[in-house]
Amino acid sequence: MTSSTAPTRAQNAAARSVDRLTKGSAFSRIGSWVGMPVGIALLLVVGSLLSDRFLSIGNLTNVLINISILGVIVVGMTFVFITRGLADLSVPATVAVGAILVLGLQPTIGTIPAALVAILAALVAGVVNGLLIGYAGINPVITTLAVGTIVLGIAQWSVGGVIVYGTDPAAQAFLNGRVFGIPVIVMVFLAVAVIGHLVLSRTTLGRWVYAAGGNPDATRASAVPLFLTRGSAFVLTAGLAGLAGVLLGVTLQTARPGIGIGYEFDAITAVVVGGVSLLGGSGSIPRAIGGLLFVALLNNILVLQGVPTAVQGIAKGTLIVAAVSLDVYLRRKGGQS
Amino acid sequence: MTGSSNRVTDSIVFLSLVRYRVVVILVATLVLSASFVPGFFEARTLSLGVDRVATMGLLAIGLTVVLIAGQLDLSGGAILALSGIAAIGLQPALGQVPAALVGIAIAVAAGAVNGLLVVVLKINSLVATLATMVFFRAVCHLVTDSRPISGIDPFFGIPLTQPVAGTVSSRVLVFLVLILLLHVWLTRSVAGRNVFAVGSNAGSATASGVRSNAYLFGAFVFSGTMAGVAGVTFSIASNTGSPMFGDTIVLTAIAAVVIGGTRLEGGVGSALGTLGGLLTLAALTTAMEYQSVPAYVQSIATGCILLLLILLDRFTFSKQGVDLSLPALARRIRRRTGDAQQDTTQENERTIT
Repeated sequence: MTSSTAPTRAQNAAARSVDRLTKGSAFSRIGSWVGMPVGIALLLVVGSLLSDRFLSIGNLTNVLINISILGVIVVGMTFVFITRGLADLSVPATVAVGAILVLGLQPTIGTIPAALVAILAALVAGVVNGLLIGYAGINPVITTLAVGTIVLGIAQWSVGGVIVYGTDPAAQAFLNGRVFGIPVIVMVFLAVAVIGHLVLSRTTLGRWVYAAGGNPDATRASAVPLFLTRGSAFVLTAGLAGLAGVLLGVTLQTARPGIGIGYEFDAITAVVVGGVSLLGGSGSIPRAIGGLLFVALLNNILVLQGVPTAVQGIAKGTLIVAAVSLDVYLRRKGGQS
Repeated sequence: MTGSSNRVTDSIVFLSLVRYRVVVILVATLVLSASFVPGFFEARTLSLGVDRVATMGLLAIGLTVVLIAGQLDLSGGAILALSGIAAIGLQPALGQVPAALVGIAIAVAAGAVNGLLVVVLKINSLVATLATMVFFRAVCHLVTDSRPISGIDPFFGIPLTQPVAGTVSSRVLVFLVLILLLHVWLTRSVAGRNVFAVGSNAGSATASGVRSNAYLFGAFVFSGTMAGVAGVTFSIASNTGSPMFGDTIVLTAIAAVVIGGTRLEGGVGSALGTLGGLLTLAALTTAMEYQSVPAYVQSIATGCILLLLILLDRFTFSKQGVDLSLPALARRIRRRTGDAQQDTTQENERTIT
């Protein structure tokens, strides 16, 4: 995959020189920024026309609650994408670690310490990922796959491969409850998203993250700790996936080892639909969240219309292809790399 | 002998161990399995052990080519389920053999879709095949209404799993023949060499007159076809088509291919290595199941082996300049013993003078 980036960059450079002449770049650059809000607005209009229940506060809040847990993971996955780390496939394992540990340790040490231990354990998995990918320079796909397999195996082993049940209904009630009319779980998601966005757009680490994905060689030459930056994206994703697992475990009050399966692909889908490129160096948290919202609203409309679940999969697959080919097209026209 | 063997990591023994790590790990697993499972090397046990990887093996054959070409294919499991459903579901309408052929034809078409997305639309193969995976899996659920379907004749698939002449089952035979053919093709034909060239640098390959895009497209079609063969044989053998078939098989198959020494970055790999990786996993599973070790401990062991081998692979890659082919190794060892003799004679002469 590293080999395929070289010709694409060459093509981009060629496209850029052509674009100076055709002046098509302004339009396409605006297009890539306005596209997602317009898409979401369009979905809101279509949804409200198709169903009168769609635009109710209750329904939209439900959509927000549904995406909150996935959204926490999406924030981490965006970092991975921007550093050109491809993708983190160990997310199902770290989610399961978070959920299993928080419920398993709850009776002995209480919910909040259990949650902290669970997130710490997920972070350890992330550090292993980060060391192997950042310092040993192994392909992220296979590394996170291997580490995920091992971590999930250990998590299953620790509870004997059975389902863990929670014992703290108060914590469940708190997460499912509302403060000032906003569901607590949505607030957690928004806090993570805002902090993630600020880190990415306002801090040195954030600038390093973009630099590492945009041009790794130049980044290393500029004395930016490239390995640390790339590794930290995976540590962050693991920690956030652990947090998502904790939220999932506490709200459901049950955790089985396979609880996180599918979250990795759903998170990748959201990030990709949001227009964050696998080639790294560009993208932002709001764009990824936009992608997440778009997929969630589309799903919601399909559910309200009584469309079978299978068709939702077809829609999702088509959506990924459409979003990415649009991104590739805009990049070729706009010449941003 | 210019001080190159001072460090352990530079010693020729260590490097050759790393170079032939697939063989080393396979022999180690086989010895381990043989000591745990009584009668492990009996024909019956071996045949059953290999039979269980036949389906994943067929999938891994296709993945080997895709990975060597520097791409990734996540959609194999979904194509496997789809072609199996077609091969079983169309039996009442078309008859058994035509239905199986239609199943494989659907898989070829699915592979072509992957190829189009990657080659024409220039979508990264990880994302493109993720999308088609979701898509094909949804089609499976749609056409079967999320329920498994059964074929018309349970005896039709029996020959596939029966041992041929007391050795291995016929689907294993198909798998072994195909993987040997792939090995010959990759190492002996111009087209095979070109796949490696495309995988290590598609741009340079194109510049040297290799039609990279055609090879990439072909790799995805081949991978889809092999997933189809895997799906059709698996569904006919079990007389069932299910939308849930193969939902976790792809990642394990990729792991097997990578254990076999094929690099995810492309340009490096071998079919025999894939066979070694698959046999390692098969021996491991057989031994652990015999000891009734739970599935999650197996996944820990698989993950550790995978991690160890990719770390070693990383290591050999940085020592690429060293020639470690078998003849070169033999020459080196001969030279070393020769040197030692020379040294002693020189020393003798010196003491004499």
